[in-house]
Amino acid sequence: MGKLWLVARQEYWGRVRQRSFLVGTLSILAIIAVIMGITAIIVIGGRDDRPLGYVDRAGLFAAQPGPAADGPELRAFADEAVAREALAAGVIQAFYVLPEDYLSRREVALFYGKDKPGEGVRGAFDDALRGSLAQRTLAASALAGVQQRLIEGTQVTLRSLDGRRQIDPSSIVDALLPFLAGFLFIMATISSSGYLLQALTAEKENRTAEVMITTLTPLQLVGGKSLGLMAVSLTQLAIWVAVALAAIAVGGRYFPELSGLHVSPGLIGVILLFFLPAYALIAGLMTAIGAIMPDQQQSQQIAGLLNMMFFVPYFLAAVLFANPNGPLAVALTLFPTTAFTAISVRWGMTTIPTWQLAASWIILVVSAAFSVVFAAQIFRMGMLTYGQRLDARSIRAALGGRGS
Amino acid sequence: MPIPTVQLSGLCKRFGAVEAVSDVSFDVYPGEIFGLLGPNGAGKTTTIRMMLDIFRPDRGEVRLFGKKLDAAAKNRIGYMPEERGLYRDLKLEPTLVYLATLKGMSESAARVQLADWLKRLDLYEHRQKKTQDLSRGMQQKAQLIATLLHAPDLIVVDEPFANLDPVNTRVALEILEEQRAAGKAIIMSTHLMYQVEAMCNRIALIDKGRTVLYGEVDRIKRDFATHAILVEGQGDFTGLPGVLDVRQENSHWRLSLLPGAEPQTVFRALAGRDGVKIDRFELAEPSLDDIFVAVVQRPGGQAGPAAAADTQPLGQVPVGSSNRAS
Repeated sequence: MGKLWLVARQEYWGRVRQRSFLVGTLSILAIIAVIMGITAIIVIGGRDDRPLGYVDRAGLFAAQPGPAADGPELRAFADEAVAREALAAGVIQAFYVLPEDYLSRREVALFYGKDKPGEGVRGAFDDALRGSLAQRTLAASALAGVQQRLIEGTQVTLRSLDGRRQIDPSSIVDALLPFLAGFLFIMATISSSGYLLQALTAEKENRTAEVMITTLTPLQLVGGKSLGLMAVSLTQLAIWVAVALAAIAVGGRYFPELSGLHVSPGLIGVILLFFLPAYALIAGLMTAIGAIMPDQQQSQQIAGLLNMMFFVPYFLAAVLFANPNGPLAVALTLFPTTAFTAISVRWGMTTIPTWQLAASWIILVVSAAFSVVFAAQIFRMGMLTYGQRLDARSIRAALGGRGS
Repeated sequence: MPIPTVQLSGLCKRFGAVEAVSDVSFDVYPGEIFGLLGPNGAGKTTTIRMMLDIFRPDRGEVRLFGKKLDAAAKNRIGYMPEERGLYRDLKLEPTLVYLATLKGMSESAARVQLADWLKRLDLYEHRQKKTQDLSRGMQQKAQLIATLLHAPDLIVVDEPFANLDPVNTRVALEILEEQRAAGKAIIMSTHLMYQVEAMCNRIALIDKGRTVLYGEVDRIKRDFATHAILVEGQGDFTGLPGVLDVRQENSHWRLSLLPGAEPQTVFRALAGRDGVKIDRFELAEPSLDDIFVAVVQRPGGQAGPAAAADTQPLGQVPVGSSNRAS
């Protein structure tokens, strides 16, 4: 096994076996489980399956409407008094009264006991009423399917001119998915680069750096650590995604929007293209910080500021959602530290021009290359400077090739 | 003459305005312990780092095992730097196995060899402890194992006896002697001059970035010998031909000689005297410690009568005895 892979394996298992990894991974899962549990309790516990009554003085319902797919049974009452008795007895959860002049006044009355019926219950009655009205109005129509279309209402699908993407009302979750996917991947990037920073400063603090440098090339040492620690983050991410998919499968029973969730190939391609250079960029910067700063505490202060540079598009998400093609959005897309996150925020809201994607990727790759070269230049000298910060003169000397 | 394991010639290294090493040259051969000496800040560590390709020299050449250092050659080096440690939060055994595999050893072979080393250095019972739970002396022994486990051909140790008690110092000395006997080239940097005198075949003394002394230890001591004789015994030691001054120092007499006087002349004169019993008669050689102090305190830091070893290239070290240390 090559030295690079030996280092990667050591870092991976060393980190995965640590209690902090288990705690970190499981705590996120625990939070998801708690949120899901609370949601389920609210949805299931707050659900009232008792029938919904109605008094049809206007004679709109030609026949007793069947139960809605996801709603309560609708039960007709001859008059309001009987319905009131049923409500008082708890047989029904509420009842509507359609007055005789409904068609002219368009007003209905809703009677309920202590709790007002939920939106889903009221929506079920609205659908039934709309269906009856459509049936009554278009009973003689020869246009097949018009009745159904009238009941369903309008459904607008937006398509970009180049055909690369479309948005319809059912894909609101799809629109948010890139945002969430980008967030997850940048979290993985940030956390693994944070691990890398810890690992490098630990070499310095443990006084193992000098032996490692005489055994390994900087590429083997930093590259091996980067790969191993990225694998740690991806393992964590895979666990979270697997649990999230399970949660979606379960949640889809209660939230139909979740069941139709799909990830576009374009999004996957963009993530694959931008993820590695973004990681190389931040890993290089973290390596440089680890080399320059004397200990973990000081390194992490600087690293925290650096991480903010990657999250700027999330802080400005509202602005980017409102104007996903504005100058700010374009600038953030082209700036290397914000490119990946800006694209993930904009992806669900607009069609990002191809030139912007290409320019952004090239700038990111070039910046990542500079970052890695810069880190490699000062790495050796920085790692051997124990207990003190590498000063500007030493950095200049290292960059001039004199220190390494 | 075998090919030198280490060949350094004319190494120079500058960090900004500071010239850390300005001209260092020496060779180290298989089967010898070579002492690399010098005061703090003299350039020893920078020299070692250039030798091991941590720093690239601005000028000069480094050859290890007869060629420029490559990845395969790195596996043949065992290095114990002055600033050293082990991963504090990892267990001892897996840490040492990991370090050995990085040096090209298979994991299974490393485990077998490691068990022997741990037993020899009384660490076997502690192999599953985290490094941070070991005493400093134990950590020092563990670092010695990390340096030697992969059976390197070149061993570079910087202050190898720091933190070791006398018993473990003796064990470490034995181990280094064994390595020398096995034909390994050993470079030892230390401030313990008596250890250097006891162990090293040859030395290089670096001061202000330059090699100011280089050669065999015995030859250097002879060349730095003051023009005097130490005599131990009974009788009258005054009035001897060629003797300028006679002083008693503890159990022996120190006879300072006139310029040009030969010790053999004095010996013959003493042997011819009645009532004189001689237990010891020797040239007054300074200790290596004295030589070290004398050389590094000399104005300009240049060498005295350095024993330019008769077989070694030594461009910058003056040869001869006209500039004796005092």
